[in-house]
Amino acid sequence: MSALIDVQAADGLPRARTPALIGALTLLLIAGPFIGLAFATHWSDFHFAAGDRASIGVSLGYSLIALVLIVALGTPLAWWLARQAFRGKWILEAIILLALLTPPLAMGILLTALYGPYGPVGGMMAGTGLELTNSAPAFVLAQFYAALPYYVVAARAAFEGVPRELEHIALTLGKSPWQTFWQVSMPLARLGVAAGIALAWVRALGEFGIVLILAYYPQGIPVKLWVNLQDIGLPAVYPLLWVFFLVAMPLPLLLGLASRRQRLF
Amino acid sequence: MRIDYRIEHPLRLQARFEVEGFTVLLGQSGAGKTTLLRAIAGLLPAQGEPFGGLPPQHRAVGYLPQGYALFPHLRAWENVAFALPRGAQRRAQAMELLARVRLADVAEHYPAALSGGQQQRVALARALARKPQLLLLDEPSSALDAATRDEVMAELISEVHEFGLPVLAVSHDPHLAAQADSVAVMSAGRIVQQGAPADVLLRPGSVAVARLLGHRNLFSGRIAGHEPGAGVTLLQWEAADGALLRLPQRPELAVGQVVQWMIAPTAVRLPSLKPEHHRSDNPVSGRVESRLNLGAHFQVALRCGSERLWLDAHSNLVRYHGLENGSEITVDLRSDGLLCWP
Repeated sequence: MSALIDVQAADGLPRARTPALIGALTLLLIAGPFIGLAFATHWSDFHFAAGDRASIGVSLGYSLIALVLIVALGTPLAWWLARQAFRGKWILEAIILLALLTPPLAMGILLTALYGPYGPVGGMMAGTGLELTNSAPAFVLAQFYAALPYYVVAARAAFEGVPRELEHIALTLGKSPWQTFWQVSMPLARLGVAAGIALAWVRALGEFGIVLILAYYPQGIPVKLWVNLQDIGLPAVYPLLWVFFLVAMPLPLLLGLASRRQRLF
Repeated sequence: MRIDYRIEHPLRLQARFEVEGFTVLLGQSGAGKTTLLRAIAGLLPAQGEPFGGLPPQHRAVGYLPQGYALFPHLRAWENVAFALPRGAQRRAQAMELLARVRLADVAEHYPAALSGGQQQRVALARALARKPQLLLLDEPSSALDAATRDEVMAELISEVHEFGLPVLAVSHDPHLAAQADSVAVMSAGRIVQQGAPADVLLRPGSVAVARLLGHRNLFSGRIAGHEPGAGVTLLQWEAADGALLRLPQRPELAVGQVVQWMIAPTAVRLPSLKPEHHRSDNPVSGRVESRLNLGAHFQVALRCGSERLWLDAHSNLVRYHGLENGSEITVDLRSDGLLCWP
């Protein structure tokens, strides 16, 4: 194995070459499709199809709303699962697992059955004038279901990583449970929670299956990509895809950087 | 301050004792010492006074757990300021408290960059910022290295004396107990003895307490008779060839009863340098098994029958008798140093 050990890394420890080699190869596998995309794009004739601009606004705006809802409702659930022990907790865990593993298309069908005009909740809501299929609320609802379980799983793990003793000490120092959450639990869990938010964002923005069934309209980028492919063909897909990368990337990238920058302790 | 707590879960215990100045509660690992502290701090369900029934955030206690539990995401001064109300004075007050524990120069450091002793003092300052009526310390000496432990603890004790706060420290370390103002001993879920350290350390109330205090010369024997005229009770040490020992009279012990007894190593005497002082209470013969040179003192282990008897003697006396491993010697077990429990 000595041939695979490089002289010395900056920290003075021997640096192994094998993981670096395999890592580079794996990265190349991941990058492959995007390198292909760069070559396949007609850069000289780069233009958008009708409705592309609107789909960007739909995706960004509604994903943001869905993300706020996911954090607002998912954080208490994640906290509860991380901190409370009770009988039958496994049932709650199984429900979240169920939401994670249901194929998106099937989830879309289940949601339509529940929230559609003939579903129990949808029928009730229709009476108040709120339509939960092919509407802005339906779009947000679809994204909410797609991304919530991922956020809950990540945030729960993050809260479980906070030593309980530190929360207890905060209480003995006169802080209320609410203050303890904001001043101790949240700062210490922020790395994992930020990762959960980034994951939820990516899941919500890229969701296709559930959205296709529950909210074909208004069209966000993933559905519009499909529509472009059907109606016009490949050349109409690539430009919109580039824009998708451009708008989807900044939030998770910034979250990652910001939460890591203060890692002084 | 009087502590009176009853706990049912996770283990059943009842603790009723006084906290005066720096009080050490001694008990074995797993005896429920940490459980008691957490109950007083309100972190687990229990009944008792003071603070009974209040949620932890409304109890005026400063709790220093083992490992100190400093907030890793806050600098030293921010840890201290944690309990202080927001305002212009917050930082100044925190710095003042840090200065009182002589740590103003590390105010900007994160806990990971502090030594164990420094972390303990930051935790102390943080607890004091809350203006507690009682300070709770969990094994304050356990995370410190042996070389500096006594010094750090002496410093901590003088600091809390300065603040004039009652302190309850739980520990299994008899060393720490010796430095305290008062010692309480917990065994089998209750307090079995409390008093000044000298009294408790020299006169343990039971063999269990003696064991907790780290006494080594613990043996069993049989009551052989009473001599009311001489005011003595006779104890036969069967393990050491049936040696007969005299102790101050204990009429409540029945003849033939098996008892536990102990003697402090300092009450086991080598024959005096001056022959006129050759008065012997309880001569016992043994063979030197090992010697520990502590400078001015020697700790000597004697093999007496099937038991090992420790004695603590002045170096001059050990040299005078020429004690080497294997030497035979007759020592005197001072009657007034003999303690005996049924």
